[in-house]
Amino acid sequence: MVERQSPLTPIFRPAVHSNDVGSISITLSEVTPLSIVEAACWPGLNERLTAAIQEVTGLSVDTTPNAGVVGRGTAAFSIGPDRYLVSGEEDLSARLARVLSEETGTVTDLSHGRTTFRVSGTRAEWVLSKLFAIDFSPAVFPVGEGRATAHHDIFAQIQRSDAAQFDLYVFRSFARAFWNTLCTAAEEVGYEVIEA
Amino acid sequence: MLIPCPHCGPREVSEFSYQGDATRTCPELTSTDVKAWYDYVYNRPNPAGPHREYWQHSGGCRAHLIVTRDTRTHEIHDVAFARAALNRAGEQA
Amino acid sequence: MTARRTSSGGLIERSRTIGFTFDGRSYTGHSGDTLASALVANGVTLVGRSFKYHRPRGIFTASVDEPNALVTILKDGVREPNIPATQIELFEGLEAESQNRFPSLEFDLGALNQLAGRLFSAGFYYKTFMGPVIGPLRGTRFWMICEHFIRRAAGLGRAGYKPDPARYERMNAFCDVLIVGAGPAGLMAAEAAMSSGKRVILAEQEPHLGGSARWSGEMIGGKAAADWSQDLARRIDASENVRILTRTTAWGYYDGNNIAALERVTDHLADAPKGAPRHRNWAIRADTVVLATGAFERPIVFPGNDRPGVMLAGATERYAREFGVLPGEKIALFTNNDSAYRAAAALRQFGATIMAIIDVRAKISPAARALAEEAGVEPLLGFAVTATVGRRLTKVLVRRFDAETERLSGDARPIEADCLAVSGGWSPAIHLASQAGRNPKWDEELCAFLPPEPTQAWAGAGAFTGAVTTAEALSTGRNAGLKAAGKKLSRAKLPEVTAPNLDIHPASVFEIKGNGKAFVDFQHDVTVEDVRLAHREGFVSVEHLKRYTTLGMATDQGKTSNVPGLAIMADARGLPIRDVGTTRFRPPFSPVSIGALAAEKYGHFKPDRLTPMHDWHVEHGARMMNVGLWHRPMIYGQPGETVEQAYTREAATVRRSVGIVDVSTLGKIAVKGPDAAVFLDRVYTNQFSTLPINKARYGLMLRKDGIALDDGTTWRLGEHDFLMTTTTANAGRVMQHLEYVLDVVWPDLKVHLTSVTDQWAGAALAGPNARKVLETCVAGSAVDNEALPFMGLVYGEIDRAPVLVCRLSFSGELAYEVYCGAGHGKHVWEALITAGEPHGIAPYGMEALGALRIEKGHVTGAEIDGRTTARDLYLDWMLSKKKPFIGSALMDRPGLIEKTRLRLVGVISLDGRPLGGGAHIVESGDLNELGESIGHITAFCYSPALAQYIGLALVKGGKELHGKRAYISDPLRKHFGPVQIVSHHFFDPEGKRMHG
Repeated sequence: MVERQSPLTPIFRPAVHSNDVGSISITLSEVTPLSIVEAACWPGLNERLTAAIQEVTGLSVDTTPNAGVVGRGTAAFSIGPDRYLVSGEEDLSARLARVLSEETGTVTDLSHGRTTFRVSGTRAEWVLSKLFAIDFSPAVFPVGEGRATAHHDIFAQIQRSDAAQFDLYVFRSFARAFWNTLCTAAEEVGYEVIEA
Repeated sequence: MLIPCPHCGPREVSEFSYQGDATRTCPELTSTDVKAWYDYVYNRPNPAGPHREYWQHSGGCRAHLIVTRDTRTHEIHDVAFARAALNRAGEQA
Repeated sequence: MTARRTSSGGLIERSRTIGFTFDGRSYTGHSGDTLASALVANGVTLVGRSFKYHRPRGIFTASVDEPNALVTILKDGVREPNIPATQIELFEGLEAESQNRFPSLEFDLGALNQLAGRLFSAGFYYKTFMGPVIGPLRGTRFWMICEHFIRRAAGLGRAGYKPDPARYERMNAFCDVLIVGAGPAGLMAAEAAMSSGKRVILAEQEPHLGGSARWSGEMIGGKAAADWSQDLARRIDASENVRILTRTTAWGYYDGNNIAALERVTDHLADAPKGAPRHRNWAIRADTVVLATGAFERPIVFPGNDRPGVMLAGATERYAREFGVLPGEKIALFTNNDSAYRAAAALRQFGATIMAIIDVRAKISPAARALAEEAGVEPLLGFAVTATVGRRLTKVLVRRFDAETERLSGDARPIEADCLAVSGGWSPAIHLASQAGRNPKWDEELCAFLPPEPTQAWAGAGAFTGAVTTAEALSTGRNAGLKAAGKKLSRAKLPEVTAPNLDIHPASVFEIKGNGKAFVDFQHDVTVEDVRLAHREGFVSVEHLKRYTTLGMATDQGKTSNVPGLAIMADARGLPIRDVGTTRFRPPFSPVSIGALAAEKYGHFKPDRLTPMHDWHVEHGARMMNVGLWHRPMIYGQPGETVEQAYTREAATVRRSVGIVDVSTLGKIAVKGPDAAVFLDRVYTNQFSTLPINKARYGLMLRKDGIALDDGTTWRLGEHDFLMTTTTANAGRVMQHLEYVLDVVWPDLKVHLTSVTDQWAGAALAGPNARKVLETCVAGSAVDNEALPFMGLVYGEIDRAPVLVCRLSFSGELAYEVYCGAGHGKHVWEALITAGEPHGIAPYGMEALGALRIEKGHVTGAEIDGRTTARDLYLDWMLSKKKPFIGSALMDRPGLIEKTRLRLVGVISLDGRPLGGGAHIVESGDLNELGESIGHITAFCYSPALAQYIGLALVKGGKELHGKRAYISDPLRKHFGPVQIVSHHFFDPEGKRMHG
């Protein structure tokens, strides 16, 4: 199989971009889960869907709005009523489809269609607050949870994957524009671009 | 204006798309009652006060909501998922 | 040490001297100075010319309410006009210019306007220029001539022409308690709220916290108030749950307790740190807001009240105590309340001579009397200022005045003074409250509007509420903070305040009537006479008064002029002020830079949307064009080629051999679920439930009203699994339409929709040799006519990447669309190019794509334009009669089927000139009698297949006109010429080539 090319290929360069006082408060990277999948169920069947996700990924996701959970190399979070974004190993879509009957819901592979950016560091909340009108504070947006929001024309599905770390899933065609926006917003606090 | 999305919580109106009057129901597709279709497609009340409207959280969870909004003050009295509410209504009917 | 700088005191850093220029002259100030305080310290009293009359004006206030001292800042080669000097912090190398003067501030030709004063009274423009046309000097045409000159003469600073290199940002913030204003009340509120552990934001428009405590001269908690405020500010700053925003003006109060606030991040710095925005526009969503915005002092209106040297009394006190600057050496004060007495004592203490305290009242409080003694002067009670003298103030004239009857008596008495400090009472700064409340209430005692009843979640504290003393500020501040944080009120002892027991309730005197111009609104040059003229002419409601005279409509929003203006109107009408009412304050509270509103959306405003093959296109010489947000190749031009030559070559290669085009931008929607087929039958005009698996079908959608919405092919990948494609332009709209009907019209259907536009890269391979190209590169599946018939699809691999190949044609040639994962898009594209090289494959862009489709008469968004029906486009064959679908009920309404509708035809240019999009079509060839338009061109190109300029058009009658000659009329492009109306199927109408 051919390797998947990143939409950032020609512009992505690991480098240190410290701010005026020489500090670096966040790191930016592209994470490349082998699979990104949207799994959705028919109304009222949320528990069956989360059970299917657990069977395949081992992740136990709540059925409450915005719920999510992060595991080793895999993650799942709610992106809308009866809909979850699941990322993880190769063939996730096929494996989910096998355990998710048509009476329960559907699975759509988005591995090529979404690009995942990771923003981590002490000022991650600050930088993301420049771009999204949602509350990033840990009390309101705890680790594991997800949010579906937008920066103007660019939709973003965001998961807090660690105390000071967010994974942003954006449409691939917007990836380069959004990456540039992210770097611009991060310049003030100093940032480092790293290989994931 | 903030709309409290039942899935995402309160979000700025810029994340939503207005999707029209929620007091009208679409005739059955098989219906040839042109008057009913005209009413559905064109005739709109324009109330000064509480009004039921569809809003899609297009910049968020993508769900359509039924929002009861006071057109004079933007006060929002009630929000519900359209699909769930309409399915419930369909079962009762 | 400069002439007016006091020898000690103030909160400036005297050890740090800063150089700056004003109108090209060099001056120095200190760290902590504003431009205004530094100018005052340098003895510069004349700082600008007024808006209409070009009257000399000086600094009038010490804060955001400044109406006069607006200057232009030159920074990094960019001019920023109309900034109050009172809000500019001094930095090394600051360059400022005065405004609205020519050739210089001292000698201004525009000052001649003063002689024509009557001309510029309220309503001047309307009366002179907008009236009926009588004679040569009236009517709007004359206005058009004069406007240019008038606009130049009247006005403020001049904007620059260079692009602003600064960066601006938006910031979203959420908190439990937002406190606006960090004076004593705001600080107390913050301290109280932060102890609850709630998230608190404290926003202060000045560079430092403390507000009036920095210059009141009072004692709080046994310390100088300034020290007390600094200590408290430090404690608040140390708290983890409080965010302090200085230089941040809350300027708008919006629904949902959203407060807009502008932070001036780098304006006070000579060089902005890397990446720092100049301004940050905060959108703060707060559960509760505490408004501790304080109060503005207002002037008394009297003839000559705008002369440089006249200043608000509180401002003179602030300049002395906070900046160590005296606005004059010989200072007189004019007041209707006690607060000016504290100023007098302070000015005296810092070294000025107090020439007089002129008080309209007959009696004053003992505390005021004691302060007058400190100031070394016996107050003139029952007196008023009736005139001022001097180019810069040299003396004032005073007369006996009865505050009850407002009558002047006796002779005018001159008093020598180079500064007149005026106090007309204090008005709570209710601007934000007015945006989030009902009507403000007039308070007879305070002679001011008090905050209205809230309509959103806010509470007031301090002088904002009309609580006038610092002790009250502390208690109301703490209470408001505790309440906002959801805590019980505290009985703990408040810091003790030592302050003179002043009575700042003023005498109800707003205006001293006399001869000479008396200004109400300094910034807009609105005089007392203008207000009375408005009254005489019937513009008596406050809303009319405001619009007719422009009172309060300048950039300062009438902070000093609102109440005096209303008082004068009330007087003219013989009504109490409360019955005259006030206008609602609108956002912004103070000017907001356009850059801050645009925030990060500078340059071009939309993000670039790129296909997986974008870099290949650019590397191979494609000229890119914008299609919505997408960037798509227009042509792949070769050296020396025109656009037309390039697309002609590309299109001809397709017809002759093979070409390839990037179609990744097509909207793609995964339609899945047990009811998917039923759903598609309802949304498409034609049937999809009958489509076999691994086959595609061309589909058309209508809107509910029967008008065409979009077209595209949909492929059946499985029993309950479809991949729908839409046009590039309508992808979002179609998705939203489908989501709507699924959520709202048929909520019972089990169908899921997911946008997979970005999941798939797509390349269309078209031309007689297309199959040969595929045969050499597709593995895992045959692609011959049997395995892959027209509208069939197969799965395979191209150079190890999985692909989906569908045989369908937009160009009319034997053609295939090859889809693969977007991350493989460039890889597969390059493999296809390599495989096509033996056939001379040409990548083609949007122009060639357009030419090929026009030759075939295929419609796109230019024809599906939101007005046309399926019948108009001769797509009736797609309207199923076996089932209803969205739009079927209304598509046959009389208006949609009548004969005169514009319908699709082809058009051939007969004069060998290109057609123009949007050009009208007429039947008459007589330029002098064109008659009515019968339609218009929707798309055009040079057709390599026909070797002619052709186009598609919508014309009345459509098909019936085939073979007719008509004319295109395109006056914009200066083209009038004959055309032949033909079938829109120009090329290979039987479709033999694509089935080949």
